[in-house]
Amino acid sequence: MLVSWNWLKQYVPLDMTQAELEHRLSMSGLNHEGTRGVADDLAIDLEVTSNRPDCLGHIGVAREIAVLWEQPLTIPDPGPASSAPAAAEQASVRLECPELCPRYTARVIRDVRIGPSPDWLVERLATVFRPLNPDWAPINNVVDITNFVLMESGQPLHAFDLEKIAGGQVVVRQAGKDEPFTAIDHHEYSLQPGMCVIADTEKAIALGGVMGGADSEVSSSTTCLLIESARFDPLATRNTARALNLHSPSSHRFERGVDPVGVEWASRRCCELILEIGGGELAEGIIDTGEPVAEPKPVILRLSQLKRILGIDVDPDEVNRILTALGNSTAAAGDGELAVTAPSWRRDLTREIDLVEEVARIHGYEKIPEDVGVPMAPSHRTDRDRVESIVRQTLLAASMDEAMTASMVPASWPESFTGWTEHPPISSQTPMLKGADRLRTSLLPSLLEARRVNESLANPVIELFETASIYLARDGELPVQQWTLAITSAGGYYRLKGIVEGLLAALKIDIPLEVKGVDLPLLDLSRSGELCLDERRLGFLGAVSPEGLKQFSLRNGTSLVELNLDLLAELAELVPQHQDQSAYPSISRDLNIVLAESVRWSQLEQLVQATAGKELEGVDYQETYRDSEKDGADTKRVLFSMTLRSQVGTMTGEQADQLREKVVLQIEKQLSGRLLS
Amino acid sequence: MALNEFLEQLQQLSTEATSAFQQADSLEAVEAIRVDFLGSKQGRLKAAQKLMGQVEREDKPVAGKQFNATKQAIEAGLEDARERLSGGSGSRSADPTFDNTLPGEAINGGYLHPITQTIEELKDIMGRLGFSVADGPEIEDAWHNFEALNIPPEHPARDPLDNFYLATAGASAASDTETPLLLRSQTSNVQIRVMESTPPPIRIISLGRVYRPDTADATHYPMFHQMEGLLIDSQVTMADLKSVLRLFATSYLGSDVHIRFRPSFFPFTEPSVEADFSWNDKWIEFGGAGMVDPNVLEAVGYDPEVLSGFAFGLGVERLCMRRHGVTDIREFYKNDVRFLHQF
Repeated sequence: MLVSWNWLKQYVPLDMTQAELEHRLSMSGLNHEGTRGVADDLAIDLEVTSNRPDCLGHIGVAREIAVLWEQPLTIPDPGPASSAPAAAEQASVRLECPELCPRYTARVIRDVRIGPSPDWLVERLATVFRPLNPDWAPINNVVDITNFVLMESGQPLHAFDLEKIAGGQVVVRQAGKDEPFTAIDHHEYSLQPGMCVIADTEKAIALGGVMGGADSEVSSSTTCLLIESARFDPLATRNTARALNLHSPSSHRFERGVDPVGVEWASRRCCELILEIGGGELAEGIIDTGEPVAEPKPVILRLSQLKRILGIDVDPDEVNRILTALGNSTAAAGDGELAVTAPSWRRDLTREIDLVEEVARIHGYEKIPEDVGVPMAPSHRTDRDRVESIVRQTLLAASMDEAMTASMVPASWPESFTGWTEHPPISSQTPMLKGADRLRTSLLPSLLEARRVNESLANPVIELFETASIYLARDGELPVQQWTLAITSAGGYYRLKGIVEGLLAALKIDIPLEVKGVDLPLLDLSRSGELCLDERRLGFLGAVSPEGLKQFSLRNGTSLVELNLDLLAELAELVPQHQDQSAYPSISRDLNIVLAESVRWSQLEQLVQATAGKELEGVDYQETYRDSEKDGADTKRVLFSMTLRSQVGTMTGEQADQLREKVVLQIEKQLSGRLLS
Repeated sequence: MALNEFLEQLQQLSTEATSAFQQADSLEAVEAIRVDFLGSKQGRLKAAQKLMGQVEREDKPVAGKQFNATKQAIEAGLEDARERLSGGSGSRSADPTFDNTLPGEAINGGYLHPITQTIEELKDIMGRLGFSVADGPEIEDAWHNFEALNIPPEHPARDPLDNFYLATAGASAASDTETPLLLRSQTSNVQIRVMESTPPPIRIISLGRVYRPDTADATHYPMFHQMEGLLIDSQVTMADLKSVLRLFATSYLGSDVHIRFRPSFFPFTEPSVEADFSWNDKWIEFGGAGMVDPNVLEAVGYDPEVLSGFAFGLGVERLCMRRHGVTDIREFYKNDVRFLHQF
């Protein structure tokens, strides 16, 4: 809201400096955004919050100044002379939709002379309009006066050429379906039910609360005026303006709510100025339709609430002065209580707490201390935070950089990876970024995109992870938000598997990691797997398939992991318990076994664990190689070592050899393998 | 010959030899010095050995010991000089092939995203001030995102153009009364969920992603991170709010900081303020704050006559951008590893 320094002086003395004015208004609720000189005047830009439509006019701002500097506020009391015949005999108003337009008033002026506005009027308007629109120019005296009163009081007005209103009858009604309308900006609009139109007996002549129509606008040949001053419903006005993308100073104010009593004042003020500047005869009376304005109810302010909420005492006389100067009427009501009735332009003051805020902002927030002793309290670190911290530490140690990517993705991404759900992704009514209107069901596509960006920059090392939510739709239930970790790395399958195993170790989860085959198009069919812990799905691991690389425009191979962090958090042992360690040295034995190709390491490992018993401290895979000439087709040699340790004494070489023989025997029996000597 | 005199001669011999070896600049020079001091016939040490015969008998053990020490010192000097000049190992001379300016072996640790680093610092500071972290869903219903926060259905903040409403299964069939789910537009939904399920006092922060439609540019992104704090107890005032914010800002900036309130308007607080902190003689916008609106307290079943509280919120990206001099918010979501490695 731009206000003019000179204009404000019409209502309140401005004895302070410009800087003082700007600062104190900022500190009391009208945030100062900037000031520009316009001719001999200053255009001061103030941010008006949506609860304060009263400050969308100069009088409202002047009132704030008057309260802050304890100065008198002078508001004009317009009393335009009128004569017969009465307005009601020259025009009529039928209000058909009070839900869209609670009050509609009209006054009629005849024999007006349309012409240029006087200099003082042009100067006022230029100060507040030209900074926003360098091409701004005055229109004519009548239109300029309606704009003047708008910027003076915050009440939008509209002047119609009465002779262009068919039948002299104004009908305030809902628009019909696809009803055409040409606005004053000469654009065509197609209106819809729920929008309020001002019509004559034939067609819409204005879009209520938003914009006048081209057909009934005041022109140089106009002599008869119908001056509209009305109140349109905030929500309906907003919906109309949004639907048509047609925003005006009028719609801005009606959306926030105008002073229901001020409607009539503004009409009088406008007519007074028209008579003064453009001459003419004002018809007697006002056509006033709609519900009478409801009387506001007093609100009880307990003075003790000021201390309770603000933390400081405010002198009761000061409280009373502030509230009265703001336009409230106050009366003592019981001990330490004040009955406060808000003025019609302050619809936001309906509760005691609203009055507390009024007192606080005028009294000054700087009076509230910033060094009171706030009591101490314990705070707890959540398990989720602990798990997240361990996960991050592990990944940072594995040379992974943390990425952050958007939660909404293009439709093709969820289709590219359906590991977590077969359900289609949840979509949003509005895309987040261009074309991205699906809530992601996996972080993997987002990381592949981040990888592509880095490849395009020829960044040599791209190792990324992200922890975030994925959103999984369910039938007839609220969607699941799964806390998820994903990794993309140039390292292969086993590198990423090592990271997963490292994570399990760091989180002290000693459930064996199972890997099952999966068939997911994004992943290589062999170099991939579904990861499980105790038959519960932990996630997916694999090298990206050639098709996957192509889909995400990647030049170089990459592998992926995605894990359910909720499951890891559930299984994590965040307070590990001490176990006694054997006091005796370990001994190790290497085994080189020839096996059928089809035997999996997990089978071999389980067999060793089951056979060697409690003295087995670890089974460590070393390597696999193949020699089909010596061993026959479809065979492999698997080299591994066993670390053995006894709890009760130093294990001897003979004991270790015995255990090895036992293991070899079982391998021969169960897996048809044999030891290479 | 007196013992002292003999020992002095040995000392001088040793000093001269050491110095000569150290100054020698070629193996030939070293050899000449060797002959001069250690030569088996004409060497000066040989000459000194002969003098030992003249020392008193009872002094002989001391003299002999010192003679051997001197011999060893001179021989060591010879070795050092030879090794120095022939580039051998084991000497104190530098190895010319070792370039101590070559780079170290990289440890190649990863880097945390700057937003995460900022969030961790915020959590850390607020944790010390007694605020625990509370989590809540990102997909939210109208009650927790709006209604309970004193944002009624007709409020502009609920406009479809300002929110990410989710399309329901049969979107067209959805009745007017059923408001669709949405991605939360602020982390305040967590406050409601905590208050609904926890008796007071409450002292929490909630952090995370929030979503508001916006065209992405240098200062806007349709997804960003917020931190919100909430304190509810029986005697909480705006002075407590100001004091907590001051403690927070002082902890974060590390010097004495002052807090300023400017009136503002939020549906869920009354009074509502914009909080600024002074830093380097300038006022910097911190974020929105205020006393929890009685309607919010009532919505969660708290009695506003008994309880009061404050809430505050700030944008993590903005804080992070100012702290690290990042000028384009989109950098955070591009994930260029060169960007990530700066923090």
